[in-house]
Amino acid sequence: MKIQTLLLLLCMMLPQFSQADGPPKKQTYPEGLLSLNPGGELWSDIRQRGDSVLDGTSQVKGVDSGILINASGVEWANFRVNELTTYSSIALAAVFVLIFLFFLIRGKVGIEGGLSGRMVKRFTDYERIVHWTLAVVFLFLAITGLILLLGRPLLIPLFGKEVFSLLASASKESHNLVGPLFLVSLLMMLFSFVRRNIYEKGDLTWLLKGGGFIGDGHVSGGFFNMGEKTWYWIVILIGLVVSVTGLILVMPIFGQGRIIMEIVHVIHVICALALIVVSIGHMYMGSVGTEGTLEGMKTGYVDINWADAHHDRWGKECHEKDLIISAEEYDKLVGTSSVNEADGSKTT
Amino acid sequence: MARMKFYCDAERCIECNACVTACKNEHEIPWGVNRRRVVTIKDGEAGERSLSVACMHCSDAPCATVCPVDCFYTTGDGIVLHDKDICIGCGYCFYACPFGAPQFPEEAAFASRGKMDKCTFCAGGPEEDHSSDETRKYGRNRLSEGKLPLCAEMCSTKALLSGDADVISDIYRKRVINRGASAFNWGVSFDNAKIKG
Repeated sequence: MKIQTLLLLLCMMLPQFSQADGPPKKQTYPEGLLSLNPGGELWSDIRQRGDSVLDGTSQVKGVDSGILINASGVEWANFRVNELTTYSSIALAAVFVLIFLFFLIRGKVGIEGGLSGRMVKRFTDYERIVHWTLAVVFLFLAITGLILLLGRPLLIPLFGKEVFSLLASASKESHNLVGPLFLVSLLMMLFSFVRRNIYEKGDLTWLLKGGGFIGDGHVSGGFFNMGEKTWYWIVILIGLVVSVTGLILVMPIFGQGRIIMEIVHVIHVICALALIVVSIGHMYMGSVGTEGTLEGMKTGYVDINWADAHHDRWGKECHEKDLIISAEEYDKLVGTSSVNEADGSKTT
Repeated sequence: MARMKFYCDAERCIECNACVTACKNEHEIPWGVNRRRVVTIKDGEAGERSLSVACMHCSDAPCATVCPVDCFYTTGDGIVLHDKDICIGCGYCFYACPFGAPQFPEEAAFASRGKMDKCTFCAGGPEEDHSSDETRKYGRNRLSEGKLPLCAEMCSTKALLSGDADVISDIYRKRVINRGASAFNWGVSFDNAKIKG
């Protein structure tokens, strides 16, 4: 069967998957009783039959109702409880430690000569709305998803089962409701940014020079540098996988059986975790990590010195086309609303 | 204290589905939810066998392992029950269970899941015995009245047995010995009683 081959492939990719036995559990039998199960022999017989018991029939109609035993369920459950929760916690903790270390070593990456105050338009309002919609939806889904994945070991000891159940229920329902919005905003992201994210000639140099992470000098780049382009394609491609697997999981109306759900769930969680881990790096680089980057997404304008330092080829273009506006002009364009607000607060 | 188990004798089950009907009726289970089902393999062919399947009340239950809100518990009688006030209807127990026991009522659009429902071994739930809350959420509590699950109690061929593991093991063992000892029925022996592929 194709599905089982897939599962087997997955098992081989994840060495722990096939041997997930879980921590030894204390058996709590009433005193003096053996763990005798009269059906044990019958069911182990059935289990060994494999495929021949998969195609039974039942008067009860439903997904998988003709299947006598689904042995992969236990493997999936153990994989989720042991490997997935452990390694995801480690990955999340590791990325924070790595970023902190990077911050200690490099500090805030500045610009030679500082900021000039003269600005150049980088993102339109629509582009910024697309970015922040995707960002907010993604963060929401990440947090609710992590609550469901890590809540039992981390949050139940803190809040107790009753309170956590409310939180988990809200997380599950809102994760399911907001999920499809991620696909919508992802497609908006795909269409509005795709042209500037196609790889071009200079990108390899960026990679060879370590993207400016290693050493001091800034590396040559176009409107987006190679690192940003790669992050864009990670978001689009892995995001699409997460969206499609999420839709398969959330709508059990296409007759998808348990084995499909188990594989899809594992893919969904691993891909989502990869996105979360890399996105933490993106958030750091976009805010604390580099000087002047956040302005671009906050106001749509960046400092011309920032453009020259990080995206020299685009900066050169801005100089040539005379797109630079003065500090006063920038204040007028961006500061209008804040000035008005200040006036409004005075009068009321 | 006993250790409660189900056992279905594949040599005896005639796929009458009375256990399914009895369970639905006793616990007032809604459409689309079936705590018990009868599965037939090789239907209409030589070696056809039927088995009545519900929650097997595992000693190391995978549903309890995987539940993200930890809503399962095992009673002193070895019965695996769950708390519907804690359950969030995520469906993970259904993926984890080898027997397909957990069931989900369709709550809203796109078959979104309500709170899980499954066989309680006719032992109700965490609420007070025979309270209206318990009956509404988990169905009847026969065990506290000293009765065994209705599905097994009314099985016409006594294929489905329920009760203390030691007791039903003894019953089954005696059956097997008698089967093998019958001079007129050598064809039905212990070996034949196993599922043939």
